[in-house]
Amino acid sequence: MSENHEQHDGGGHHVNYKRIYFTLLGLLVVSVAGPFFGILIVTLVTAFGIALVKANLVIQNFMHLKWERRLMKWMLTTSLLLMALMFAGISADVLNHEGRNWENLAARAAIERGIQDPHAEGALAEGGEAEPVEVAFNVENTFNLVCGSCHGTAGDGTGAAGAALDPRPANFTDPAFWETRDRARVMNVITNGAVAVGGSPLMVGWSASFTAEQIEELTDHVLELRPE
Amino acid sequence: MAFPKPAATLRSATGIPTGRLAVWWLLASEVVIFGGVLGSYLMFRLGHPEWADAAAHTNTWIGAFNTLVLLSSSFTAVLAHQAAEKGDGKTAAKFLVLTIGGALTFLMVKSVEWTIEIREGFTITANGFWSFYYTAAGLHALHVIAGAFIMGIVAFDAYRGRELQRVELIGIYWHFVDVVWIFLFPLLYIAK
Repeated sequence: MSENHEQHDGGGHHVNYKRIYFTLLGLLVVSVAGPFFGILIVTLVTAFGIALVKANLVIQNFMHLKWERRLMKWMLTTSLLLMALMFAGISADVLNHEGRNWENLAARAAIERGIQDPHAEGALAEGGEAEPVEVAFNVENTFNLVCGSCHGTAGDGTGAAGAALDPRPANFTDPAFWETRDRARVMNVITNGAVAVGGSPLMVGWSASFTAEQIEELTDHVLELRPE
Repeated sequence: MAFPKPAATLRSATGIPTGRLAVWWLLASEVVIFGGVLGSYLMFRLGHPEWADAAAHTNTWIGAFNTLVLLSSSFTAVLAHQAAEKGDGKTAAKFLVLTIGGALTFLMVKSVEWTIEIREGFTITANGFWSFYYTAAGLHALHVIAGAFIMGIVAFDAYRGRELQRVELIGIYWHFVDVVWIFLFPLLYIAK
């Protein structure tokens, strides 16, 4: 297929492949030597900065992208942009382990647990499988994170997310609030939402998120905020 | 030509030989595949400081040796291309065989490395780091196997002076596999 063959253009540019190869080897040595200095920034630059330089040398000179038509460069740029779009879209949720109204308990637990030495006793269950992540329910943390966003961690109705709500989130430290409430009603509202007692639809029910026992604990926590 | 060829093989509407355009299209899709894996690895790694402890168990020297092997095999692949441009199919085939040798060396080192790690209990289910480690390097190794296999076919033809344009095409693919490793190496072996 000589017609295609004649269109080869890389060879016509007299690339000194040997020189590029030895440059690549030199760069490899630098990237391996980088961490020996023990300085984070040096390691990062020698690892990833040099990886970019190496990749660029290979792509431009060995793959001949340098002499390729613009169409090809646009194709590859599009792929890279798609990759960047994916990263920009989801990295915030992976890099952060908490936001205003959510907390990634499993990620937190994983960090706390650290990487286990597989030889350590009890590190792995008998089947050789990693133990599942079990996050204990802590009523105070849950109240602070879930309820506190609107009702305030002190339960006084001053949570940041509740600032603009109408009606205002209930203030559990207000004696007037408790004149018309009892334990059964509080539990009903937490379970089914305030709509169940003719209240605001903004206070949603939590029966899908917590077990009956957990809701009882939350109810008791709210009752503890009641002023004497 | 002994065989009739489909029109698309000979046509070049874009000014780029169709085969080469096809390889670049393939690579554009590969960028998204490997980019997705590496991008996910990066964000999880940054969000999980404890992964550094796991990364400390990877062997930098083995990784560096395999980088050397792949860079060298890229070099022989481009020399094969150079020979093919001069119409020297036999030399091109010789360099392609050397490149296949690089691929086999890479895979052998990798299997020894993995055997050691798995025996120590660092399996794919051990934790998030090792899951990414085996997935990313495993996907890359599959590309090495595929490349070596296709290179064998191309070398067989090139030795007989046939389809010399394919030497460049498999070369471009091979350099891409090299580039992926260039990024995997610091991500899995150096940043600890």
